[in-house]
Amino acid sequence: MNARAVAAWSAACIFIVLSTTNPAYKGAVLVAALAALATGVGLHRMRGLLTAVALMAAFAVFLNFVSAHLGATVLFALPDQIPALGGRYTLEALAFGASGGLTVGAAILAAAPFSLLLASHEVMDALPAALSRTGAAIAASLNLVPAVASSFVQVTEAQRLRGWRPRGPRSWSEIVVPVVLTSVEGSIQLAESMEARGFGSGQRTSVKPRRMQRNDWLLAGASGTALAIFALSQAIGWAAPWYAYPTLTPPPIDARPLIACLLLLAPVLIWRSRS
Amino acid sequence: MLAPFGTGADLAVAKLTRLTYAYPGAEVAALRDVCLEIDDGLTVVTGPSGGGKSTLLRVFNGLVPHFHGGVISGTASVGGLDIIAIHTRQLARNVGFVFQDPELQTVYNVVDREVAFGLENLAVPPREMAGRIEEALDAAGALHLLGRTVRTLSGGERQRVALASSLAMRPQVVVLDEPTSQLDPDGASSVFAALLTMVRQGTHAVVSEHRLEPILPHASGLLVVEGGAVTAVDPKTWPPQTVSARLPRQSAIGEEAWSLANVSAGFGGTVVIDRVDLAGRAGEVVALSGPNGGGKTTLLRLIAGTLAPLSGAVARRPARIAYLPQNPAALLHRPTVRSEVSFTLTRAGESERPEAILDELGLLSVADRYPRDLSSGERQRAALAAVLPGTPRLVLLDEPTRGMDAVARARLVRLVARVRDLGAAVVLATHDDELRTLLADRILDVSGGRVIEKTRAEVLA
Repeated sequence: MNARAVAAWSAACIFIVLSTTNPAYKGAVLVAALAALATGVGLHRMRGLLTAVALMAAFAVFLNFVSAHLGATVLFALPDQIPALGGRYTLEALAFGASGGLTVGAAILAAAPFSLLLASHEVMDALPAALSRTGAAIAASLNLVPAVASSFVQVTEAQRLRGWRPRGPRSWSEIVVPVVLTSVEGSIQLAESMEARGFGSGQRTSVKPRRMQRNDWLLAGASGTALAIFALSQAIGWAAPWYAYPTLTPPPIDARPLIACLLLLAPVLIWRSRS
Repeated sequence: MLAPFGTGADLAVAKLTRLTYAYPGAEVAALRDVCLEIDDGLTVVTGPSGGGKSTLLRVFNGLVPHFHGGVISGTASVGGLDIIAIHTRQLARNVGFVFQDPELQTVYNVVDREVAFGLENLAVPPREMAGRIEEALDAAGALHLLGRTVRTLSGGERQRVALASSLAMRPQVVVLDEPTSQLDPDGASSVFAALLTMVRQGTHAVVSEHRLEPILPHASGLLVVEGGAVTAVDPKTWPPQTVSARLPRQSAIGEEAWSLANVSAGFGGTVVIDRVDLAGRAGEVVALSGPNGGGKTTLLRLIAGTLAPLSGAVARRPARIAYLPQNPAALLHRPTVRSEVSFTLTRAGESERPEAILDELGLLSVADRYPRDLSSGERQRAALAAVLPGTPRLVLLDEPTRGMDAVARARLVRLVARVRDLGAAVVLATHDDELRTLLADRILDVSGGRVIEKTRAEVLA
């Protein structure tokens, strides 16, 4: 799996969900991203991500529902005197919020392969040569993240056994201070190690990144085609927009932009599980 | 002080002349008037914790003064290069460095990329890299790790990858700062074997170690660093470490203090401890041995009650628990070592003076210093002082001798024996065979989810 091919697929997904208001196409991209991830990552490793996506999408729906008091189909109403929340609650606001939720969910799932499927160095390899030093620094800092997490567990356990109990924000300083200091010390040691291996000494070369294989080209081609067809559909008007207001109507669907979205299912045929 | 060492300036791999160095803001110099020459082969550096070993090693590749700052005087050179004038980054192709903690020197998460990191920085042509990576991994006894993900490696494997990362740059000298202090005996042996192979193949090495037995017979030089002064000693005349006598017990073993009944524990679907039945008594010292990742820390956390078992029951007498985590920094957050001890005593409602335990652990001289400014060995003792004052009833210590010199270890042994005699149930997770010999009433081997009681001879075998 080549990071540049994955980047092409992610870019196509994100372009489509951000460029249209039509929930049919957003939904198609969401399904494609979900299927691709399930193929590459395996559903058991996606549980945490799916929960987070569901929560964020639900928040987007809720936010629109309680803040946009527009639309003809009133579900219920709260007195106008209630600040911020007062007014009519409509089916249209709920539907438009759901469309926003689809955007959030599809965009996150489209970007997820970078953390779930690729190693940090594979992502850095996809960067242009001019950014290789920055990429190495980012890869190094990403390696510190698990150390911070385990440091938090160790500090909490150790201080609890010394009598610490969570009693308001100030009490957390006994946890936060050692975790932060330990993380800073870890960063300094890593910086020492990088410096000792010549980091920043001048011109840099890079290990030849893994070359694009046939499947990578196929994925990049499918993604590019999807993006081009959808952009063309937008320009010509095949991918018609959709608005929930003033009265809820079903989203218009055209086969051509829908085919573009379905091309994004290419990873289902190409990727193999890395779990 | 002049401590001539080696065969002469022209042949010396490294040479320091009247070198004095102080860290930024420090009132006392970390290195004082150091004169030395290092010859071919293996040079071993030893001395008490906080004596200046790590600082000296960092001079060889210029981390002192270029990375740490501070004030330096005198001259220092490696392979004829002026260390004080040339930055660490430029010295990287001449001097390799392997740090204590294998986890905090990893940039990439795949072995071959990690080894390539230095080559990339030195702008080695990409077509040459694959060959040099394999050559370095082979020299470090780690060729079989090619392509592996770093986080799946044991501590010993990680240190060998760190060694390979240095060797890939084909340095004249490789400096290793206590490379085995965090490794189990197998991991340490593999690192020493790789180190000695590397020296036989012509790379010069400078190694800081507290446990000299495995490497001293192969050393061409020995430097003793104490109080910032460096003395060259003939390694053949260095006396072997004497093992102290076991301290006689002053009280009998009492009633059951903790127990595990059919306990299983693990993380993320992996069972680390599998259906274990165990118990410990007041006044008894139980030592846990076994490889890194075998489950010793998990067992300690179960006994402490900080980790819930997947199944089974854990019981302990309600009383104060003293728990030393593997990383002493997890405890230290007060402005002085003394205040760390006072903090625990106040929380425990005990009236003991903090100076008592500080004296016992040889920390009175650093009582008013910020604990995180101490050397790794002193920091370990500060963490012990922070958890062990007063009269804890259950004492759980995870690798308590990490980074400690022989004197500090002897102090620890006396302290644990005293706490034991006061009736505390003690559990030690340790790779330190001497500590087990001196203190353990029972030795439990923790490996592959199982806990098996062993005799000392069986553990050594």
